[in-house]
Amino acid sequence: MTTVSEGLLPRRAPGAAPDAPAPPVLSLRDVRIGDRAGDREIVRGVSFELAPGRAVGIVGESGSGKTLTCRAALGILPAHFEVTGGSIEIDGTDIATLNPARWRALRGTTISAVFQDPASYLNPSIRVGAQIAEAVRAKKGLRRREAHRRAVELLRTVRLRDPELVHGSYPHELSGGMLQRVLIAAAIAAGPRILVADEATTALDVTVQAEILDMLAELRERTGLALVVVSHDPAVVARLCDEVLVLREGEVVEQGPTHAVLHDPRHEYTRLLIAEHEQYGLDRFRTTGEDT
Amino acid sequence: MVRRVLALTSGRIAAAVLTVIALLALFGPWLAPLDPLATGDNTLAAASGTHWLGTDYLGRDVLSRLLDGSRVSVLGSLEVALTALVAGALPGILSVHWGRVFEWTTLRLADTLVALPFLLFAVAVVALLGNGLTQAMLVTGVLVSPLFYRVARAATLAVARSQYVEAAVVSGASTGWIVRRHVWGKILPPIAVALAQTIGVGFVIVSSLTFLGIGVQPPAPTWGGLLASDLGYLSHRPWAPVAPALLITATVWASNLLADAIRDVSGEAGRVLLDDRGARDGRPDRTDPAPAPAPAGGAR
Amino acid sequence: MTGGPARTADDAGPAGPVLEVSGLDVHYGPRHRRRPALRGVCLSVAPGETVGLIGETGSGKSTLARTVLGLVRASAGSVVVGGEDVTRHGPRQWRALRRRGVVQYVFQDPLRSLDPDLTVEDSLTEPLLLQGVPREEAAERARAFLPRVRLHEELLARLPGELSGGQRQRVAVARALVTGPRLVILDEPVSALDAATRVQILEILKELRASGTALVFISHDLGSVAGVSDRVAVLHQGELVETGTTHDVVNHPRHPYTRLLIGSAPTLYSAPADRAEREALRALLRT
Repeated sequence: MTTVSEGLLPRRAPGAAPDAPAPPVLSLRDVRIGDRAGDREIVRGVSFELAPGRAVGIVGESGSGKTLTCRAALGILPAHFEVTGGSIEIDGTDIATLNPARWRALRGTTISAVFQDPASYLNPSIRVGAQIAEAVRAKKGLRRREAHRRAVELLRTVRLRDPELVHGSYPHELSGGMLQRVLIAAAIAAGPRILVADEATTALDVTVQAEILDMLAELRERTGLALVVVSHDPAVVARLCDEVLVLREGEVVEQGPTHAVLHDPRHEYTRLLIAEHEQYGLDRFRTTGEDT
Repeated sequence: MVRRVLALTSGRIAAAVLTVIALLALFGPWLAPLDPLATGDNTLAAASGTHWLGTDYLGRDVLSRLLDGSRVSVLGSLEVALTALVAGALPGILSVHWGRVFEWTTLRLADTLVALPFLLFAVAVVALLGNGLTQAMLVTGVLVSPLFYRVARAATLAVARSQYVEAAVVSGASTGWIVRRHVWGKILPPIAVALAQTIGVGFVIVSSLTFLGIGVQPPAPTWGGLLASDLGYLSHRPWAPVAPALLITATVWASNLLADAIRDVSGEAGRVLLDDRGARDGRPDRTDPAPAPAPAGGAR
Repeated sequence: MTGGPARTADDAGPAGPVLEVSGLDVHYGPRHRRRPALRGVCLSVAPGETVGLIGETGSGKSTLARTVLGLVRASAGSVVVGGEDVTRHGPRQWRALRRRGVVQYVFQDPLRSLDPDLTVEDSLTEPLLLQGVPREEAAERARAFLPRVRLHEELLARLPGELSGGQRQRVAVARALVTGPRLVILDEPVSALDAATRVQILEILKELRASGTALVFISHDLGSVAGVSDRVAVLHQGELVETGTTHDVVNHPRHPYTRLLIGSAPTLYSAPADRAEREALRALLRT
């Protein structure tokens, strides 16, 4: 079975828009985000379209505006920021028209997210299973017993080895990697069409990171979940995404199919990111290793 | 540190007020215009030319009693605060550095002191060591010391687990070096705040012990004693408690102001420690993405 | 400082390994419930050599570093630092050894490894003052060292809070190096930094290696240290499962855990087939 990403790799379309038949579930058009108080614009024009089962990656340092862009798409911008220009559409609906009640209906069922520090998103005094069941019950209106069954099923979906045991554990009894899986399970509980993963694997060991990225790739193939993967590391994005945006100081300095961006970076900053991997990373040994 | 405190307006005000009070304590007994113990027929008199602040229920001059009592009052509460500081803060700092046995012993001792009934303990010690202001203040200081022990220990624990202390250890620093260079500056602010509180508490304790005949013997005046006796004649002279109360309040307020000034100038670490103590009362917000505060609690 | 300790440092000579760990066991926990953190670890670092120490959370890599620094006691085996057997050292002997500045340590998080109330100058002179260097000379040496980590003199009077993350980490590196140590242990020294600063710090460390200082890089990611290490050592569940030159380990890994590490390391050009391979390796390691 070949993966979706493999099938897409040879394509060298210069533009961003994927010509898949399905209409995009998420589209950003020239999104600008500014400081509510002043004239500072922190994100200056981000555009991309995300079709079902596809993945787009956003690469940038902390402070580049990648997290703000995600938060804007989720409708959870911090109080002093606002979208000052452009439009964001989720499943064909412009989010500017959404009222709080419709936002609630949309979050979880259509768009969902996981962030860097999983422990801070879980209540330390409630068993993780109950917290997932809560998400399931809130969104799907299931009864207690069904919700329990569904929670265990979700924990199995995110490839936790002993879902029943994890279900009955408290957050402090689990490792960082397990907690992140729990959060992913909660995020996909209501069957969203888009999952935003903002530095979701940054704090984890590489082997665990790879496991979670593999799990997300599998989820995407199996359920047609669309992914927005945000990372400071182009390699993480490269593993999952069809399209990459490189963000620097709020500006998109490079955008295109992953393969094209990695092999033929145009912007100096993208070159730096790639050079770092080729000079200090494993890539250097792989290439020289093959030569000798 | 002193220069930085004095650069603040609040620091200057506090220093000025405390200087005046210190001068009172030094020269008060000599400044008293009349004999503070001489009784007269003119009881509970209003302020007049001879008695600037009136007289008390035995006809004694209030101003003279206030001035005469200032030394004992100030010295008494200072003694309480310093005893508590030495008996509490020092073991508190060292409990983190001096190994498990010392840590365990001091922790249990601190718990025991908190559990002891104050008056009973005071009476017992006075019975053993004899009655006197110094004995009474020593007892009080020791009983207040668990506060300093906890504050110092919690602050030191937070610093001792930090990487910069470990970096200093790896460079060969001794316990003394670490305390002097890395710990002291950070635990000073919370200790200063506790000290200011204790000075205020000290006045009250000096006076409440006077009631029991412990410490200061009745005819000798103290601020707290004056306040207590004035309160008994509130219906005859309603304004009388104002003067001693004002002195006590001014001293406590100035001490607190000084503690605040010390906290403000002692860098971010000191502020963080204090904020942290306040913040830990509130439960962490479930949806708050901010990292949980570092475990810095002294209690085990 | 007396003249005594300096003599021992010279005795070791530049030729012998700066670090020799053999048969090292370390246990954690109370006596009745002791859990092994390290089992039979053997590792040797030659002068001027750079070794990558790889392992995940809980693999014992930090324990190994802390044992070498005398912060954790070994339950068996021996540790020889700069030719001096430190296995049985008491606190006093450790302090004497540390004051010679033979081994230094750089922490992962530059924000927390510098005292927020001390100026850059105070932080940099601390290890020198501990060695017994007079204050003026220490300040002079700190000042003279700054260009090597590409920091400007005017930063000396600043507090860590007034510096960027990259500047802070360079101060931390400078503090570790100012005594001219023969071995520096670095715990994920660049993972908290942005790309441009990461490259800069790695460049600085490369120059350092050229000047003959041995480095031990600790990381969970083989990929992040492969480019700067001569040799790598892989720790898995307290045991050293693989050591060798970086080239050999990367291209011909023997242990399944090493293979998984290499397969998991984020690289720019990964093949989708790697996924199945990783899955197989995980299953193998679980048994």
